[in-house]
Amino acid sequence: MKKRARLRRPFSASAFAAQAGMMIGALVMLAPVVWMFSTSLKPESAVLDANPKWIPNPITLEHFHRLFTQAQDFPVLRWLANSVFVACSVTLLVLIVTSTAAYAFSRLKFPGRDILFMVVIATMMIPGQVNLIPVFLIVQKLGWFNSYFGLIVPCIAGAFGVFLLRQFFLSIPVELEEAAFVDGAGLFTIYWRVILPLAKPALATLAIFTFIGAWNDFVWPMIVTSDISMRTLPVGVMIFQGRYVTEYGATMATAAICSVPTIIAFLIFQKRITEGIAMTGIKG
Amino acid sequence: MKSRNQAPAAALFLLPYATVFLVFVLAPILYGFFISLHKWYILAPRPEFIGLRNYRMVLGDDLFRLAMLRTAYFVVMVVPVGNALSLLLAVGLNQNFRGTAFYKVAYYLPVVMTVSVVAILWRWLYSTEFGLLNHYLGQASGVMHGVLPKVFPATWKTEWLNNPRTAMPSIALLSVWWGAGGNMLIYLAGLKNIPRELLEAAEIDGASPIKRFWAVTWPLLRPTTLFCVVMSVIASSQVFGQTYILTGGGPYYSTLTVILYMYQQGFGQYQLGYAAAVGYVLFAAVLVFTLIQFRLLRVKQ
Repeated sequence: MKKRARLRRPFSASAFAAQAGMMIGALVMLAPVVWMFSTSLKPESAVLDANPKWIPNPITLEHFHRLFTQAQDFPVLRWLANSVFVACSVTLLVLIVTSTAAYAFSRLKFPGRDILFMVVIATMMIPGQVNLIPVFLIVQKLGWFNSYFGLIVPCIAGAFGVFLLRQFFLSIPVELEEAAFVDGAGLFTIYWRVILPLAKPALATLAIFTFIGAWNDFVWPMIVTSDISMRTLPVGVMIFQGRYVTEYGATMATAAICSVPTIIAFLIFQKRITEGIAMTGIKG
Repeated sequence: MKSRNQAPAAALFLLPYATVFLVFVLAPILYGFFISLHKWYILAPRPEFIGLRNYRMVLGDDLFRLAMLRTAYFVVMVVPVGNALSLLLAVGLNQNFRGTAFYKVAYYLPVVMTVSVVAILWRWLYSTEFGLLNHYLGQASGVMHGVLPKVFPATWKTEWLNNPRTAMPSIALLSVWWGAGGNMLIYLAGLKNIPRELLEAAEIDGASPIKRFWAVTWPLLRPTTLFCVVMSVIASSQVFGQTYILTGGGPYYSTLTVILYMYQQGFGQYQLGYAAAVGYVLFAAVLVFTLIQFRLLRVKQ
């Protein structure tokens, strides 16, 4: 630590320039997002001001009010409810099915285990969009078009969670399970009482990534639903904008509603997300 | 653990995931290929087996070839620019300036937004009459007009998305803005893994910061760079939402990307067999390209 302090450079012009560059970069990156929120809070008459104003004055909630009360042909509330239900269900189901599978792959002995795991991992290489058409036809054959099943179940099959959790489970010392085993615990008890509690950090990381991914999914909900009441928010935002092209205030309010949950999730679990990306990025 | 026959238990633990994996991942891969061998209309009563004819038609399809070229153009813009920006931001964050936590949040924030929000937001920013970009650039041009009247016009605006020459670069720009934060975090993790002693040794030897970067950081960062570049090639070659929402492939097919073409063929024309073949040809192309990248970037290790 002492050595590091000695080597730290004193205040310099280049450090100042770098710092300024970082600040300008941050403002440029944030500007479109700030503009979205700012517009959503402006009265419609002030939205297309010849001199753009970044801070709305006066602030109004009229767009949000209208979206939630009047827009019967554009059920924003329903879209919001759909998005919440679908994203939460996908997250919960992913945690269940991938953790049990990861437990089997990391702890149990059965013939063909490693080959099976390789097959699962190999499918991570296949770009999702390429599978779009066959998955759509399968979902249609199951009678799941325009249904929550269709929106949810195909989205829990990705191999990422299995991969992530298996890696984490392997790092848990086997001795803990052996102690539980000697005490007469069955495999399910060990999974539920020993492994899952110890794997909380990995489960939390997986949950956040899954939630944000499911919430933001656009292509699949667009394809698997056609009924206006079955749409999720990301699709709804596009439909809404297509109809009210010039109503920037209302459009930006819809976009803001769609963005707030993931932004909040990101701000709360920031550390977990950045660490998770670093971890999976390096390992991948 | 005690060697008991664990196969039945394993089967139970695997059952839920194995079922969805089989039905929605593994089966579709094979089923998709099966579909691509047929003349398969959504509404037709019975698909007709035509062997590899779809593939032959895809490869001879002028629009498909155009879409491949436009997609390649997009990839060639987004991958180098995006990765350079991500790395630059990561290097900046790694200096641990005051306010680094804020910078990190600011740079990553766009990543957690959905493509439709990003697209409609940028559609407005790019708008010819009402967009912020034309507003501020026009103002800047007006100011510069006073200094260099020959170079900068007094009033200036451009049709970002309606001009075939600027449409794809505009989409690339918003895609870089949208995605730079993701790779930035991976580069940052890579930078943190570089042993501090090496950099300090180079500093004591009098190497400048730029020299230190190229001599120490850059070579040691190679695995991270390889990973980020490969992943962004795979992701950007599948670009769909941006072009679907913002331009629909236009103007004059200038933003027609392969997945958008696949979507149009499959869900617009109902030619599912043909669309499936388009998807597989893209997959094959990306796979070959990925293997080439591994070769090129790994050999030097």
